[in-house]
Amino acid sequence: MNHPDGDSRDLLESIVDRVNVGVLVVDAHYTVVRWNRFMAMHSGLAADDVLGRDLFTVFPDLPRRWLTQKLRGVFLLKNYAFTSWEQRPYLFRFPHNRPATTAVVDCMRQDCTFIPIKDGDNHVTHVCITIMDATDTCIYQIQLREAMDSLEKSSARDPLTGIFNRGHIESRLRDEFARSHRHDSDLSVILFDIDHFKRVNDLHGHMAGDEVLCEVANRVAGALRKEDVFGRYGGEEFTVVLPDSDLAAARVVAERLRHCIAARPIVTSAGAVDVTVTLGVCRRHPDIATHETLLNRADQALYRGKAGGRNGVFLYEDEA
Amino acid sequence: MTFQEYTPDQEDALQEVVNIAMGQAGAALAQVLDVYVALSVPRVRIVSADGVADAVQAMIASAQDGDPGDVTAVRQGFFNSLRGESIALFGTEGCNSLADLMGHEQALEKDEIDRELLLEVSNILSGAVLNGVAEQLDTDFAFSAPTLMAMRQPVNRLLDAQALGWDYALLVEVNFRLEAPGFSCHLVLLMPEESIEFMRRGLDAMLEGL
Repeated sequence: MNHPDGDSRDLLESIVDRVNVGVLVVDAHYTVVRWNRFMAMHSGLAADDVLGRDLFTVFPDLPRRWLTQKLRGVFLLKNYAFTSWEQRPYLFRFPHNRPATTAVVDCMRQDCTFIPIKDGDNHVTHVCITIMDATDTCIYQIQLREAMDSLEKSSARDPLTGIFNRGHIESRLRDEFARSHRHDSDLSVILFDIDHFKRVNDLHGHMAGDEVLCEVANRVAGALRKEDVFGRYGGEEFTVVLPDSDLAAARVVAERLRHCIAARPIVTSAGAVDVTVTLGVCRRHPDIATHETLLNRADQALYRGKAGGRNGVFLYEDEA
Repeated sequence: MTFQEYTPDQEDALQEVVNIAMGQAGAALAQVLDVYVALSVPRVRIVSADGVADAVQAMIASAQDGDPGDVTAVRQGFFNSLRGESIALFGTEGCNSLADLMGHEQALEKDEIDRELLLEVSNILSGAVLNGVAEQLDTDFAFSAPTLMAMRQPVNRLLDAQALGWDYALLVEVNFRLEAPGFSCHLVLLMPEESIEFMRRGLDAMLEGL
């Protein structure tokens, strides 16, 4: 190895001291032997206050048991070790670099690397700890998560099945209801759910349950017209809005949906599962004032079907 | 790309290198945790991108007497002469029993402790294995920080052939098990393409030196 001459040694010293990364070095007794400017500025303790002293005496708040074990591992195994802000937010509690603009995090988030420093005989004599300020990454991650959450909420799609979600179905139903009312055109709604779905989950596991939901969505989507609006209403409950369909037409559609589910078992990773659905059907009637009532009546029909044998199509009582 | 199979001599030498390195890794973990660590005979082979998920799944299944179920995985890059990634796969139970052994206090959330432990154990194992390999091949490695790759996912979703970006890789795998109940770790080292050749040259140099 080339030994740096005096000048380049000074240069290295100066770089290590001024680099925008925390650098500290401890010996096997956890005595601090190097403390760069980053550490001094953020801790408020100058090199002279720290050098030659026991790390845990100077910083009694350090997680002693854990850090000792970590350092011992590096001495023993001659191996790098790491900590990430994602698991352990910080090693040294330093203020962060956004005192004026951020209240999201309370102090500097840190990624730390523990580097074994060996002598000529391949013995680890010191451990160098570097500390990277990860506060910005942490804040971006928080912002990303918030954005994803709000995106999910505002999205029209159910993340599992890819069909419309409840919010979208409701707003489309409101629009279609108003349109149908205005033009005095037909409008029907089918509400259906998977029979004994809890049993599918219990017997075959939640993953198979999810696969059943996806396949039901898939089959039904394939059996509808493109102007029909189909979505997952919640849990194992689905809704179809059928514009320009009277009760007879809606009943035919419902019967078709029932058949496309019951006709053949659904193949999941836990094996084939026999699935049936019960469907409640209701059409818009002049005495129905709101889309909520329409949906409610379809739900009552469905509820009656649940009591009356399942795997069938049930019309709202007044119409049956 | 195609590759040339290792000769029987090269294969033997590689197996030996890996056996020694894995032994050192087991000993290292045992030393840090102060518990007995059992390990399987390491397996070494060249796999295609298409076959890697099945190969890994089969190895885990045989170590666990059955369906591996979902796994939690930690990955870590290593580079210099050999370039690749180590992936440590843990059963869904995680490694609760390790918390005390690793000197954790209750300051962090339980999930965070579990995750930090998984990262720590992965780092110790892959570091020890690779340093062992490096020593024998007269080279050394640099490491990136370990990161969580997947939480409770099936193995085949982890190693999706489409997303891998290489055709062939040297696959080294071993199973570590602790006396502590419920903990086992399947360590996989994947070194794509050019590392196959670097390893070949290293093994040849070793064989010549015998």
